[in-house]
Amino acid sequence: MSFFKELYEIEWIAEFCDKFKLNFIDGNRWKWLLDGLINTLKITFFAVLLGIAIGVIIAIIRSTYDKNRTSLKKRGGLGYIILGILNAVCKLYLTVIRGTPVVVQLLIMYFIIFVSVSDGTLVAIIAFGINSGAYVAEIFRSGIMAIDNGQFEAGRSLGFNYIQTMIYIVVPQMFKVVLPTLCNEFIVLLKETSVAGYVGIADLTKAGDLIRGRTFSAYMPLIAVALIYLVIVMLFTWLVGKLERRLRNSDH
Amino acid sequence: MTINNTLIKVDRLEKSFGKVEVLKGVDLEIKKGEVVVIIGPSGCGKSTFLRTLNLLEEPTGGHIYFEGTDITSPKTNINLHRQKIGMVFQQFNLFPHMTVLRNMTIAPMKLLKLSKEEAEKRAMELLERVGLADRASSYPSQLSGGQKQRVAIVRALCMQPEVMLFDEPTSALDPEMVGEVLEVMKSLANDGMTMAVVTHEMGFAREVADRVLFIDQGIIMEQGAPDEVFSNPKSPRLKDFLSKVIV
Repeated sequence: MSFFKELYEIEWIAEFCDKFKLNFIDGNRWKWLLDGLINTLKITFFAVLLGIAIGVIIAIIRSTYDKNRTSLKKRGGLGYIILGILNAVCKLYLTVIRGTPVVVQLLIMYFIIFVSVSDGTLVAIIAFGINSGAYVAEIFRSGIMAIDNGQFEAGRSLGFNYIQTMIYIVVPQMFKVVLPTLCNEFIVLLKETSVAGYVGIADLTKAGDLIRGRTFSAYMPLIAVALIYLVIVMLFTWLVGKLERRLRNSDH
Repeated sequence: MTINNTLIKVDRLEKSFGKVEVLKGVDLEIKKGEVVVIIGPSGCGKSTFLRTLNLLEEPTGGHIYFEGTDITSPKTNINLHRQKIGMVFQQFNLFPHMTVLRNMTIAPMKLLKLSKEEAEKRAMELLERVGLADRASSYPSQLSGGQKQRVAIVRALCMQPEVMLFDEPTSALDPEMVGEVLEVMKSLANDGMTMAVVTHEMGFAREVADRVLFIDQGIIMEQGAPDEVFSNPKSPRLKDFLSKVIV
């Protein structure tokens, strides 16, 4: 104990400890950070799922249109018209979402479109999911285009229709191709959720800022928030790296 | 010639890529159990022709009848017919993310609604036949070229097709592996499988083919029994071609 007492007598260490106590221990303020972190992870996780779902659908529609446009046009009929409309809708979505800032999209979602929805976290999940979906769609599309055409042909020659060939043969291979880029997109998404505070959601960043406002000490809570983001991203990168190695092992 | 006996009938088939006319009206009938080998100089359209037979290339003119059905008609569900038309590619095109066994069972399970046990039994029997039963749980990248192509052949056979199309099946193989693949094809032919084979293996054509087609300039320039075609070519183009490929 005397060792700690001696340490405490060194001025800057004493100050550090006081600040730490003030920012995190007093009033259980560490709980704000924890709740904020949980909110951030919740928003990120569900937005990622939504983004992947949107991304897969759009990527399949867009690449189907690109691949089959000429043959469908020749055959004509309803299929071509429907696919053409779907493709146009997808393109519009990509243009609008990629052409406007995510904060603006979040504000529009919260204050205009979902004004009657009281659950801010849900609105944030939808806003970030829709935003991420646009980027993920293009990542998946590049993955689909990277798969050798022979794989399509082999699938079709066995009797699979276009969608079955996609589901059983192309998409599983696509995931492996796009994994590093996809990981990148999720890191971006995780950090982008830090603007959720704009619509009053107490995410990790907002929690740090709230502590700062209460204690008038900026250094400790903001650095802590930064470190937490950093650790999560590093952890995630490590996990994806492991997954990548496992996927590689499975076919080499 | 009765209609029952004819498996595939090709009627004035045309195919062009943009302004380039690759096939300029090909007529052909393939009977059940017949082995037709298609030869010709590179770029003559023989691969394109083979690929139109299961509509991997959509013809720009003419008709293809498979078991009496016009498969070029937009009303035909080509997927159902493709189940009965096996195809083997030059580049194998095995699915790299699946084991050999899964490569073979996925189509019968999903399309023919076979149970896993039935599909695997069927696959293992075929693997046994081509001497690859011990590689069932390997991934394609762990196999040699010859092994890959043998797997590709039995993968197509798992659907129990009426006809097998071979698109230069040995062209991507190292020379010492060509034999093992040709052996499998020979035994298939001996079992009475209907086959259409695009190849540069003239020895195989001579030995196994019932009929040899020489395609050049987008048409079937000459056809007949292998002896006739190889020993007594009529057109100067075929004579020229044979003088270059037969040493």
